[in-house]
Amino acid sequence: MTNLAGVPYYILEFGDELVYFTPYTITLFLLALTFTIFVLISMPERQVDIAFGGDAYTTKVISVSEMRFRRFMAIACGLASMGAMVTGDIFNFTLFTAMVGITNVGIVAAVKSPHVQNAAYQYGLVALSATVPLFGGAAIYAAATGSLSMIELAKGALPAVPFVAKAFLVLGVIGEGMAPFYAAKAEMFRAPGAPYVIMCSLSSLLIFLRVIEVVMLG
Amino acid sequence: MIIRRISHYISNYENIMPLFAGACAFLILIGILLLPIQYNPVQLYPKTIDRNSSLDPYDRGGPPFTQVEIGAQYPENSPTAGLVTTYLTPFSLFLSQVTLHLGTTIVAHPGGIIDEILYNTRGLDTVVEPTILFIAFAIASYLYRKG
Amino acid sequence: MWGQYSYGILVVLVAGVIAFFALAIETDDLHRFLLLDLVEITALGVIALLGTDLAEALILPGLTVGIAEQLALSQIYCTKERIMQNPVKGLNIEVIAKADAPLIISMFLVVYGLILSGFTGGGVAGLGLVFFFMSRGYREDLNLLEMASGISWALWIFAFFCFMFLPQYWFIALMCAAVGIVLKVTVKMSLVGTMWGNGND
Repeated sequence: MTNLAGVPYYILEFGDELVYFTPYTITLFLLALTFTIFVLISMPERQVDIAFGGDAYTTKVISVSEMRFRRFMAIACGLASMGAMVTGDIFNFTLFTAMVGITNVGIVAAVKSPHVQNAAYQYGLVALSATVPLFGGAAIYAAATGSLSMIELAKGALPAVPFVAKAFLVLGVIGEGMAPFYAAKAEMFRAPGAPYVIMCSLSSLLIFLRVIEVVMLG
Repeated sequence: MIIRRISHYISNYENIMPLFAGACAFLILIGILLLPIQYNPVQLYPKTIDRNSSLDPYDRGGPPFTQVEIGAQYPENSPTAGLVTTYLTPFSLFLSQVTLHLGTTIVAHPGGIIDEILYNTRGLDTVVEPTILFIAFAIASYLYRKG
Repeated sequence: MWGQYSYGILVVLVAGVIAFFALAIETDDLHRFLLLDLVEITALGVIALLGTDLAEALILPGLTVGIAEQLALSQIYCTKERIMQNPVKGLNIEVIAKADAPLIISMFLVVYGLILSGFTGGGVAGLGLVFFFMSRGYREDLNLLEMASGISWALWIFAFFCFMFLPQYWFIALMCAAVGIVLKVTVKMSLVGTMWGNGND
């Protein structure tokens, strides 16, 4: 059990799928939880456009329905990140990761600006195609080792996991979280509403930190 | 300089899809080169096929309300697994008696081992899955109404 | 070394390379979207090669996630391209719009779907509703469907916790899950083809 980034404090059993809390996962879980609570209680920022050389400035208006929808998406994103942090099952992890991807799309897609809509669409395409390596990787895990439970994989009694499966998993998480494309993601952040768009970044960072632990198993 | 150019290239969101698809194609090619993957013969939920059954290949479990053995990872966590066995509607029952081809589709008849896995032993997967569907539906209907 | 599994996965991976290559060189947004549907199939292929009952249970979530994301993406595409005013005719056959037959047929399908329960039932019941909406040219109340979707979700979660913490009541949990999925699939099916046209209610 040394591979699991610490001895689990507590294992919650959901049938075949165990949820476990080690020092590493509990830290990430608390981070996601704290941020979700922030999103829950905070009001969105308002972007201000200032015309240089004059006193003119305008505040962008955010409608109540848009704010409510984006807050809902951000909270769902926080819940998905929390689930991805503590789950002890490979396939379950990929599903939570896919959920993080689609909630991220939702957070930005609600904004009316055509530029943001276009960016959200491109990001959605990547998130959708990233499910292929994600699920493929999980299936190869199951075929090669005969188990999807991270706790069983960490025991070391099962056959080694092929390199391809691990690489697929990492590539899938990159696609869902857009890890190396932060520059392109900044385009989506032209969308107003600070606490919600930051949830996109935070969740992709968290799932990336978790997948590093996952690929070190088995 | 080169970093600036790369950074400029990937900051254009039109380019991320080709970039990601290219990365996927490249990784799959590596996967093909590393190919023979050993299939572990010891698997969870093994499948047996009975060619003589009219429900073949989806003959799932025995009669209702009798517990069958299920090859779960942690059987002690799901004490009631195996009780949900195949159930047929009158129409499916009739078809299964007159033809040998009823079981050729996953939706031909509900119940059995799939329900066990989806609802019971791997229930958390199925909780996440409708949640994803719910969220996608919320996005689509929000855009439809406000678009 | 080269077992049956390795040969199977070779075929699927070659298909994956072709599909992703096509996706990489395609520049049109709509074509990319259509190609993604093909790419998804390779993932299902890899899962199916597992060859156990578990594979079947993993394919269903995999398929659903793909379809759900496509539903959301297609709506984003419509909004982005401003495809709004698309008058939809429905079947628009005068006899059908007036007669009782569509009502009776769809009633039958919905009731039969409820008896079937589960995925199959949801499909059948949804088909009945789609037929009814098409024949009547009905503009549906999305708020109501959203509520039904939420209720089915809550039922499902209740069933899950029942299975996990009160396993002795497994039968109630099973029924809740079955009803939940009927509602869910019905709602989604009845949306097929109705979420366009002159919306903005």
